[in-house]
Amino acid sequence: MTGRPSAAAAPDDLADARLGAAGDREAFERLYRRHVARIHSLARRMLGEEEADDATQDAFIRAWEKLGTFRGDAAFGTWLHRLAINVMLAARTAAARSQQRLVQGDHVVERAGRPKADLEARMDFESAIATLPAGAREVFMLHDVEGFKHREIAALLGVTAGTSKAQLHRARMALRAYLGGDD
Amino acid sequence: MKHQWTDRLSEYLDDELDAADRSAVEAHLRECEQCRSDLGQLEAVVARARELTDRLPAVDLWPAIVRRLGTAVEPVTDLTQRRARRRIAFSVPQLAAAGVALMLLSAGAVWLTVARNGPPVVAVDSAAPVAALTVSAELAAYDATIAELGAALRLDGDRLDTATVRVLEENLAIIDRAIAEARTALEQDPASRYLNGHLGRTLRRKVDLLQRAATLVTAAS
Repeated sequence: MTGRPSAAAAPDDLADARLGAAGDREAFERLYRRHVARIHSLARRMLGEEEADDATQDAFIRAWEKLGTFRGDAAFGTWLHRLAINVMLAARTAAARSQQRLVQGDHVVERAGRPKADLEARMDFESAIATLPAGAREVFMLHDVEGFKHREIAALLGVTAGTSKAQLHRARMALRAYLGGDD
Repeated sequence: MKHQWTDRLSEYLDDELDAADRSAVEAHLRECEQCRSDLGQLEAVVARARELTDRLPAVDLWPAIVRRLGTAVEPVTDLTQRRARRRIAFSVPQLAAAGVALMLLSAGAVWLTVARNGPPVVAVDSAAPVAALTVSAELAAYDATIAELGAALRLDGDRLDTATVRVLEENLAIIDRAIAEARTALEQDPASRYLNGHLGRTLRRKVDLLQRAATLVTAAS
């Protein structure tokens, strides 16, 4: 991972992570304040606006539980970022599979819900990402936004590196159409 | 138009092709205006992705997080204590499911009442001790409701046309699988608000479907 999380605040992060691991919530709040924008943006792009708040909370709760395992070998931001991705991928896997079946089921009885407002009119780039199929969106996010390598993405998503490459290209081609119409 | 190398342009852009393929792509690009254009657009997408900036959530999530820290497992974990806590405490999804189980029992009663006696007059005991339900009792109540609904569908299926009954049964099965998957996921991550919310929404869908089924029976009677 080439990673966007910065090690710039590493000394503070390391000290606060150690305090947090010992139960110091004020130290953990400082970690939250420094990293919440990063984690929430990740959640918003991976799962959508609607789920981002809950997913962010889940990620920080998991971080609190796991602080004792953080050794400081990598930057805290990198560790937190990886942990958050795992939390979000696990959550979305179960939810997406269920949601797909529910949607299929609802179509049989009646159409559920209406198209979201964010599909209307002019979309920003993040909204365009959100319209990608789940697999393509996740690979695009992890590769082009988060800086993961295909072999890392393959391990995270349980796919082959070839599939990761194919999904990335699919995502870029779809977004290319958006940019072409936008500019 | 799609060319032989169109699907490899991203790999070319990311410098992930071997020397032979890279040369072949470059030779193709020299001759193909469409692929040169596509490559330029792909570069623009990658550049745009790198420009994305992070922003804070619309509301401060810390108060909600710190409330959950109060119930979360402490960082230094003791598995024995953790298991003991699980035995004596109800998680949020369990309590939610217990509440919904009562709703399902109510919905089951609606179904049976409507199917057998016409329009429903079902009173839910608002004083029902939701919090006192054990998890096993909640699951048993849930299973009992499903069994009753299944029996009602089989017994009173002649009030609805076969296709409608089949559709309802299919949808109940779909939702049951979704509920099972959500619960399985929650076993791995019991504190997840995201999964809790998802399970709650899925259970709500089941209640909604049962209510729609009751309406259909009323209309068919």
